[in-house]
Amino acid sequence: MSFLIPCPNCGKRSVYEFRFGGEVKSRPAPGSTAEAWLSYSYATANRERPQKEWWYHTHGCRQWFFAMRDTLTNEVTETSLPEEAP
Amino acid sequence: MSDKTDSAHRHGASPRGSDESSTSPNSVSTNAGSTRQSPVTFSFNGRPIQALPQDTVASALYRAGRRTFSRSFKYHRPRGLLCVAGKCPNCLMNVDGTPNVRACTQPVQAGMQVTHQNAYPSLDTDFMSLAERFSWAMPVGFYYKTFTHPWMWRIAEPLIRRAAGLGRIDREFRPEANHDYEHVFAHTETTVVGGGPFGLQAALDAAERGEDVVLIDDQPALGGHLRYAPGENSTLPKAFTGDTDESALAAVISRVLDHPQITVYTDATCFGVYEGNLLAIAHRGLDSPAAQRLTQLRTDQIVVATGASEAPLLFENNDLPGVMLSSGALRLIGLHGVKPGERAVVVGQAERAESTSQALQAAGVTVAGVVGPADVVKAVGGKHVTGLKTTTELLACDLVVVCGNWAPDAGLAAQAGGQIEWDEARGVFATGALPPGVTAVGAATGAGLPPSLDTARKNGANAKKTFVCPCEDVSLHDLSTAIAEGFDHIETLKRYTTTTMGPCQGKMCKQAAIDVCAQETGRTVRETGRTTSRPPTAPVPLGALAGPHLHPVKRTPLHAKHDELGCVWMDMGEWKRPLYYGAPESKQASVEQEYWAVRQRVGLIDLSTLGKLEVVGADAGKLLDKVYTNRFSDLRVGRARYGVICDEAGIILDDGTVSRVADDRYFITTTTGNIEFVQEWLEWWQAGSGWCVHVTNVTGGLAAVNVAGPKARDTLAKLTDRDLGNRRFGYMRCRRAQVAGVPSLMLRIGFVGETGWEVHYPAEHGEHVWDAIMAAGKEFDIRPFGVETQRVLRLEKKHVIVSVDTDATSNPIESDLAWVAKLDKGDFIGKAAISRAQARPPREKLVGFVMDDNVLPPDGCVIIADDRPAGRITSVRHSPVNEKVIGLAWVSADLAAAGGTIGMRVNGRLVTATIADQPFYDPAQERLRQ
Repeated sequence: MSFLIPCPNCGKRSVYEFRFGGEVKSRPAPGSTAEAWLSYSYATANRERPQKEWWYHTHGCRQWFFAMRDTLTNEVTETSLPEEAP
Repeated sequence: MSDKTDSAHRHGASPRGSDESSTSPNSVSTNAGSTRQSPVTFSFNGRPIQALPQDTVASALYRAGRRTFSRSFKYHRPRGLLCVAGKCPNCLMNVDGTPNVRACTQPVQAGMQVTHQNAYPSLDTDFMSLAERFSWAMPVGFYYKTFTHPWMWRIAEPLIRRAAGLGRIDREFRPEANHDYEHVFAHTETTVVGGGPFGLQAALDAAERGEDVVLIDDQPALGGHLRYAPGENSTLPKAFTGDTDESALAAVISRVLDHPQITVYTDATCFGVYEGNLLAIAHRGLDSPAAQRLTQLRTDQIVVATGASEAPLLFENNDLPGVMLSSGALRLIGLHGVKPGERAVVVGQAERAESTSQALQAAGVTVAGVVGPADVVKAVGGKHVTGLKTTTELLACDLVVVCGNWAPDAGLAAQAGGQIEWDEARGVFATGALPPGVTAVGAATGAGLPPSLDTARKNGANAKKTFVCPCEDVSLHDLSTAIAEGFDHIETLKRYTTTTMGPCQGKMCKQAAIDVCAQETGRTVRETGRTTSRPPTAPVPLGALAGPHLHPVKRTPLHAKHDELGCVWMDMGEWKRPLYYGAPESKQASVEQEYWAVRQRVGLIDLSTLGKLEVVGADAGKLLDKVYTNRFSDLRVGRARYGVICDEAGIILDDGTVSRVADDRYFITTTTGNIEFVQEWLEWWQAGSGWCVHVTNVTGGLAAVNVAGPKARDTLAKLTDRDLGNRRFGYMRCRRAQVAGVPSLMLRIGFVGETGWEVHYPAEHGEHVWDAIMAAGKEFDIRPFGVETQRVLRLEKKHVIVSVDTDATSNPIESDLAWVAKLDKGDFIGKAAISRAQARPPREKLVGFVMDDNVLPPDGCVIIADDRPAGRITSVRHSPVNEKVIGLAWVSADLAAAGGTIGMRVNGRLVTATIADQPFYDPAQERLRQ
């Protein structure tokens, strides 16, 4: 694993500078069913091809951001800060 | 020239530490790339050997008359120089304690100690060569065929382990300096791998476009085959203009070396292409063969100009010393000025055999004959070749020069995701379609290579002595047998016979193995295909991969104080913390003295390793309410509260205190190892929320101590004008204060169960405040205490340590921390899961226990009930105040009632303990609040 991630603040950096934060999922509303919480806590879609993920630039700007990563090639096509994300 | 280029030069091409290191690393005084001016002496097996400036270890030995350079892997057959290019396994030797150094590319240094390997007692007489007599007992795949019962393997394994393998590792060897192993990280726009004519051209082209270029070559000098065989390749790229190939090469090399955009790494092998165009490069030619350097080079464009490797032809005894590849013989002549033999027979097709013969004759070698490959029967000789038997005659000679097939070195292109395709016309596998960012030039594409011969013919010779794979001693017979046994796919054939898996990584044997497989199976070469190319394309010393031995250590601002006081250190993650103060042999006594100081007088502990965060902003309380299980938005300024962080599954992640120091400002402590995680976790839940809040890690900026004990107030009162009385500074309050003149934050909390204050203050005043507290406490006989004492003290209070007493399945309800989960507040992380945990009967509970008789079980001891495991101890210590052994344990819920009995096995004896629901010390919390 040695791909590059274009951090929205710092530009292209080695993946070793980052922490993976998992797939972007929407948190169930308070009062949701146990199944919804179970799925949110433990289930992942593990999509083939581009997937929206959380990444954190540990050894850089220390910001969480969204990244679209191709799960087959590890190519990260676009990144965005959560405030700016569409 | 940019800094990058300068430093890359320093790291890449300079013979570090040698006398010449001050000269330009780019200077190439001879084709050998050597900058040494006079002969030197080195030692081989204790005997002195003279080396000329252009020599490698192998060329000097060859000039001195040595012909056998190694013994083969399995049968210990004598082996001599074959490729002279650092590719084949035949010249592996031990140089200055480093095994498996390729003598043919290792430059000589004065005083170098070189010894042979894999032979006893000597290269010329090796007892292990008896192995060949037993070749019938070691058929291909004999591991799988012979050891059909486990006992057989148990007997055979030690013998095989002793006999197998190549060089021996010197277990006592230590590098002279840690910096002998280093990793360099670099980046560039274009990287050209291979410094032959097409690589040089590609580097110039990219540099002329204005790109930053790195040019890598695994030989000590640029030029590729032109260094030793000018005129061999008639089509040279356009930059090569000159009367002769030599003068054209010299002009191009100086253009490359002088170009400000080009950085040159020579003696450097690019052995792998990884994701994101990351190249791994191992450097040789450093001042010690033990020194290792690995460069990780990130590049936009890769130009694969790796050329081709000449591989042996297949005939009986094709591995005898004296049988040499044509490129090897020409290298000995052209690079090192060594005559490879007196009387040679050249094996090859007309045109190539002719030009090779001319080069040999020019060097003074008599050419006894030229033989077409189809007419060769076998090489003749015992320890060295004495003749070549053809279908018609026996030609006496001391050198057989083999014009072998050239196979493109396309492995890096394949690793980069390129296609490798069979070129029927040339008879080679060469680069095909390549991914964006990767191009290939020169012989790696098959261009300019002479057409290959079918290597698989047998000529009726002894197939057991016809070696396809010189590294692993795999013969033509072995391949045929394996294919007959059903390993007829090229990938399974490779794994079963280990052909292509030795030190040459397939450079000598890959195409021949494919040809044999195709012929034996009746398939075409295209159908047969090739094995997958993976890193490393050439062997890499483990030291290069490992790099320098660097381990980060964090020391508190009080580290020197603890050293002065003679503490015993413990590692807590990257931190060093005092475990206790005193001699290791008197641990128990030291811990008890520290313990009684805290319980009866006053003690002082360094807490600087605690994680410390400031959470600031109008929405700081909102963020903490969301992330912690309890409520902080309602915490009044000047107060502190214990808090627990859980994940959505209700699992405890961390705990600590949260103090509100101003309306919009909270000060948080976390467990020592968890600070980075907690910071990231808080920032994650804040990300995208639009809330006005900032999280800042202030751990490194602050020192922290805890002053605890009945005399803590009297001690600190001497150092601060802050009223420490209960009315003005009660339990769980926080105040800014001057302590010994230093602006500090004081928190009145009681992890160890006594009146006490945590004092957080700027790290630069670490020792000053410590000294002041020690002086102020002197009249009360104050003592510093360590982590071990703190653990006893807190265990008596049943205070949980997250990740010691809890694990990845512990929720607050079952961990006896239900009170911190405020299920009546709004949404928070883990609320849904904790609510469910509270609603259902618990599976396990964290409980306190007292041992019924005074035995001390180990931490982690299994709890037994009804002869079944029913839980585990997480912490257990002797409690001095109770004179009993106490602890915390997870037990199944039906055993958790106070007064119940649990069992465990200690030293083979079943012992019992009684569950206790109250803290073991001061259950009414009176001492804390005094």
